[in-house]
Amino acid sequence: MTRQFALPITVFVFSLLALPLLLSALWVKVVTSAVIFSLAAAGISVLFAQLGLINLAQVALIGLGGWVALRLNYGTAIPFTVIVFMAGTTTALIGAILALPALRMRGLYLALVTLMAAGAFQILFNAFQFPNGGSGFWGVAQQSAAEIRLPLLANSDVAYLRYTIVIVALCFCLVAMHRITAPGRAWAMIRQSEANAMAAGVNVTFYKIWAFVLSGFMAGVAGGLLSGALGQLDARSFLAADGILLFALAVVGGVYSWLGALIAGLLFKLLPAVFNNIGLSADLAMVLFGAALLHAIITAPRGIAGQLLVAFSRKSP
Amino acid sequence: MICIDNLSVNYGGVVALNSLTLNITEDVVGLIGPNGAGKTTMTNAFSGFAPIASGKIVIDDMNLLELPAYKRARWGLARSFQKVQIVNDLRVQDHLLAVIDAKGIDRKKRVWWIDKVLDFVGIADCRDTLGAELNSYRKRMTEIAKCLIGNPKVILLDEPGGGLSESEMQHLRSIISNTKTVFGAQIIMVDHDIDLIRDVCESTAVLDFGKLIAFGPTSEVLQDEAVKVAYLGR
Repeated sequence: MTRQFALPITVFVFSLLALPLLLSALWVKVVTSAVIFSLAAAGISVLFAQLGLINLAQVALIGLGGWVALRLNYGTAIPFTVIVFMAGTTTALIGAILALPALRMRGLYLALVTLMAAGAFQILFNAFQFPNGGSGFWGVAQQSAAEIRLPLLANSDVAYLRYTIVIVALCFCLVAMHRITAPGRAWAMIRQSEANAMAAGVNVTFYKIWAFVLSGFMAGVAGGLLSGALGQLDARSFLAADGILLFALAVVGGVYSWLGALIAGLLFKLLPAVFNNIGLSADLAMVLFGAALLHAIITAPRGIAGQLLVAFSRKSP
Repeated sequence: MICIDNLSVNYGGVVALNSLTLNITEDVVGLIGPNGAGKTTMTNAFSGFAPIASGKIVIDDMNLLELPAYKRARWGLARSFQKVQIVNDLRVQDHLLAVIDAKGIDRKKRVWWIDKVLDFVGIADCRDTLGAELNSYRKRMTEIAKCLIGNPKVILLDEPGGGLSESEMQHLRSIISNTKTVFGAQIIMVDHDIDLIRDVCESTAVLDFGKLIAFGPTSEVLQDEAVKVAYLGR
């Protein structure tokens, strides 16, 4: 049992204490974004690993969470952390609506429905933009974005990275708790077959919706955190195509563990920036992702995380 | 007592069960018939997985068909499947806990129930074993253990003897025979193994083309001319 916790705790403590000190100002921002997208990837993993459901709308839901967070940040005096939580719950409710087609469909058809939803959000974001301190419900003005409130303890970039790591770690714990308690067992029954789950008395509808709610909550919290990290959001950052990419990277990273989600976030945000930094085209990352996806599908169904964890458990006696 | 009243199930134009009426008071009842006779359809009608055209299934004054599928399990209907439903990455204990969660059994009684059913089916040693590591016999026993959680009223067993060796069958026989005394559940068992049916079922119902062609004490039913014709095609 203790060894099971050794790796996550080591990673958490290292990234909380040491990592922010090792990074330059630019990389602190990039890593913050990467950690935030890890959280959204963890939401994708919950649906895919626990129930075999494909959600391509996760990036759109991050955008939604971001919109809610900015709106509340400009429009109210609610503390930042509470806003992040509210962005999570609002997005979770929208996630529950996405669950309705999932009660009837799975596989390719569900994936298409979520992709359509992501497309719809892309259009809405483009049409209405993100609040930047203007008046009215949409809160958009022809001006550069007004200052937003940040958490009291996280007013610098380094502090905000630490703040993000703590919140993301808490959310990872939330997922882990789900996996080892009643919802995890119910999801396992449903994954085996819905008839099996119903015969065991599992309320299949409730637990499927619950998985979408949890996944949406993660996306919404990620959106809230992203709004604080960037100070403003751009409609072009939440394209439907990015939802497909994040899903693919969640598979490459590995959907069965927290480490996979972390790797997915790093691949999504950090790798293109690294390529840029060393003078390579960021698009090259796409080529690499394609190859990595093939690798994951053919030889590593548990993703990079699965391979790393096996290596780790062999090393330690 | 289980009262099946005028039960019909249609799949499109195919009549899978045709106005079946049957009153079951015995502890263990067999359900036999050739392939496609409607045996699995009947268990599915109990579970809520078959499109009911008409009729009722009344158990202890409760019309089962009025409940959604998952609530039937909570009410006291348990079933096993012809193809065992064991999740590879879930421990035996967690399979049982999933049923305990769903039935809303008190937290304090969880361990008690797990001990009780695992002891009863004789696999107390693999409580922490993953589903993937169980052999087919232990998978079958886990499946039956799942059915016993929470004192169900009726247990449907769909071919519980499939793929078991002779000594394993012997064990299965004793489990089925003792279930009523220990857990108080009536059992309806679908199987092709006539020896198993003869040994454990007081009464047996025979289906052919969705119709009930015989019902009564097992030994008499198995001697019935119509039953022999249905089975052997004479």
